[in-house]
Amino acid sequence: MSLAGRAALLLALAVAVFAIVMALGSMRPGRRGWMESAERSVYGVFGFTSVAIATLWAGLLTDNFELRNVAEYTSSTLGDEFKLSALWGSQAGSLLLWAWMFTGFAALAVFTNRRKNRELMPVVIAVLMVIAIFFTGLLSFATSPFETLAVVPEEGRGLNPLLQNPYMVIHPPLLYLGYVGLAIPFAFAIAALVTRRLDTAWITATRRWMIVSWLFLGVGILLGARWAYEELGWGGYWAWDPVENAAFMPWLVATAFLHSVMVQERRGMLKVWNMVLIILTFTLALFGTFLTRSGIVASVHAFGESTLGPYFAAFIGLILVGSIGLLILRLPDLRSQHSLESYVSREAVFLYNNLLLLGLAFATFWGTVFPILSEAARGSRITVGQGYYDQVAIPIGIALLILTGVGPLIAWRKASLDQLRRRFEIPVAAAAAGAGVLWIFTDAWSNWAAGAVFTAAIFVATTILGEFWRGMKVRHALGNVSWPGALTSMIGRNRRRYGGYIVHLGVVVLFVGLAGSSTFSSQGDFALRTGESGTVAGYTFVAEATERGRTEHVGTVASRIGVFDEDGDRVTTMVPAVNFYFADEQRSTEVAIDSRPTRDLYIVLAGLSEDGVARISVFVNPLVMWLWISGIIMVIGGIVAAWPGLPALRRETAAAAERGEKRARA
Amino acid sequence: MAVTLIVLAVATLVIVAAALLPLLSSGGPAGGAGGEDERRRVQEDLDRSLAAIREIEHDHAAGNLSDEDFEDLDRTERARAVELIKRRDALTEENDR
Repeated sequence: MSLAGRAALLLALAVAVFAIVMALGSMRPGRRGWMESAERSVYGVFGFTSVAIATLWAGLLTDNFELRNVAEYTSSTLGDEFKLSALWGSQAGSLLLWAWMFTGFAALAVFTNRRKNRELMPVVIAVLMVIAIFFTGLLSFATSPFETLAVVPEEGRGLNPLLQNPYMVIHPPLLYLGYVGLAIPFAFAIAALVTRRLDTAWITATRRWMIVSWLFLGVGILLGARWAYEELGWGGYWAWDPVENAAFMPWLVATAFLHSVMVQERRGMLKVWNMVLIILTFTLALFGTFLTRSGIVASVHAFGESTLGPYFAAFIGLILVGSIGLLILRLPDLRSQHSLESYVSREAVFLYNNLLLLGLAFATFWGTVFPILSEAARGSRITVGQGYYDQVAIPIGIALLILTGVGPLIAWRKASLDQLRRRFEIPVAAAAAGAGVLWIFTDAWSNWAAGAVFTAAIFVATTILGEFWRGMKVRHALGNVSWPGALTSMIGRNRRRYGGYIVHLGVVVLFVGLAGSSTFSSQGDFALRTGESGTVAGYTFVAEATERGRTEHVGTVASRIGVFDEDGDRVTTMVPAVNFYFADEQRSTEVAIDSRPTRDLYIVLAGLSEDGVARISVFVNPLVMWLWISGIIMVIGGIVAAWPGLPALRRETAAAAERGEKRARA
Repeated sequence: MAVTLIVLAVATLVIVAAALLPLLSSGGPAGGAGGEDERRRVQEDLDRSLAAIREIEHDHAAGNLSDEDFEDLDRTERARAVELIKRRDALTEENDR
């Protein structure tokens, strides 16, 4: 099994090298067959990495403890779903997953472009295969997932209890899909630079890749937050941990790119900027992969000590120097076709949005690498705390939220004062009224940032709903269709725009959840005997019973807590627990969460003494549920924006384009 | 073990044969049909331009654009679309020859 896995990876590497030779060779006249050979080789690389990953999965499922990765990360008693997910519990296994997904995406990109972008594709294949060589090379020579043990143990060590969670089954693959997907736009961008095909072809070819990768990365981050919330037991979901930041940074830059690329498509501006963003996005994706694996940061999300750091650092350096050098060489070809006509225009708003997103990405980067730099310079590691991130992220976040509402209301090129007044009247009035209501009836304004977020959220939601309403009115009047028909036809005709608005609505909901849960959370720590109680934020928590259980593999202690509101009515009963796994002598807390739209009740059992005293931490976290709902809204918006459209709709669009063409000729 | 190795051996044979087979066929034209790619690019530009015209019309009808801004933007975009139509037609003619 080990031999087959290793051989598959070596063959993948060899075929990737062959693909580069064929792809670049095909650029010379009369070598059409070379290109076809290169394309088939890319499929072949995916085939070999598929054999490799299938081999490892087979080893995990059949308890083949001869393999180190199986012996150290699973046990025969582990459920099959966790045996499968144990593949990415290890350093080498997760890299194999990365390589497999990446080569799959590369094959898909080659397949979907087999009849178009012919001038770009040889270089696209070469770039993708260079990346494939790096990863298959690492897996073959630096950290093999097929390493065998000299003495085969009878039982495996088992999977870390923290990783035995459904979110851990799905969260890492989604993040990796986001990371690897970003390689496709990067490869097209480099191909555009090499071939001097610097029009919008590479953007058109990669738009959906970018949206889908952005979506995977975003959902992966949110699921990671959900995992941390459920599994780590500190009452929160985001701690500006270096590995969390590592995924957040490319997501921020990708968000900037998704906006600025519209300026290039519409106005022929920001060409250099977009190239910088795409290079930066992919480099940060690699940096994220590096950070998790280098052993240079301490994080619950990171793998342990490893020797991979220098390889990643060298590869990132190569990518950065090579692509920036190429960009500098092509600067004369990347002149803007237009200049900014007004600072009050949609393109200007996109520019402000980009500067803020990049500012936040840089601040996050600085906070992430500062401990490493301080250790290198002074010998002592200075950690950057939550305060630093709050100081930077809160004002930038609020400004970004406001721009989310402002952008759609402002026209391209320039906006007249009259138009601005008409468009902003209702949203500003709604926001002012909302701020007043919050001031009078709630304590939202007891924290200026939270008050500002809620007010901005009302403003943005009003602008988005206004855009939908105006668009529907036009479709309803022009098309003589019903209101639901007007809505679907309006979205169908401009999925990208209205998909984007739905994503913006998700962003509004996300900010509401963030502001509520991070600002107005209440906490209490109690040591309770049965019958005793503690109170937090108007809720009374009564210890009603203790429970102890034991199976062959795990021992459990739990405390049954009754929760009562201010009127003394029972709200719910919660059972926080602690599990102790005998095989690997690990302990894991099982938090109890009662989730409602207005608040989460969150209880962590720190310990249960022999004399029946339960030490618990209780959190009342307002509006947390909206964080997860925002993820669902953003996924829906992303799918709408990236959806290629039904054949009927495409025909309709084509017919409309034809009509438009005739009018344009006229 | 033996099964995995057999699968790998078969996969290797298939992949190597599939990758090498195109090299045995005749050379064919230069890598990439340049003219057709160029026409496709212009067509995509044109599609975007036409979509922009529709969006400008929609924004005007929805009240997002004043009459003055609309006329200005619409005129510019239509001029661009006409230019692209001419280029596309010229390329189509060239490719057909």
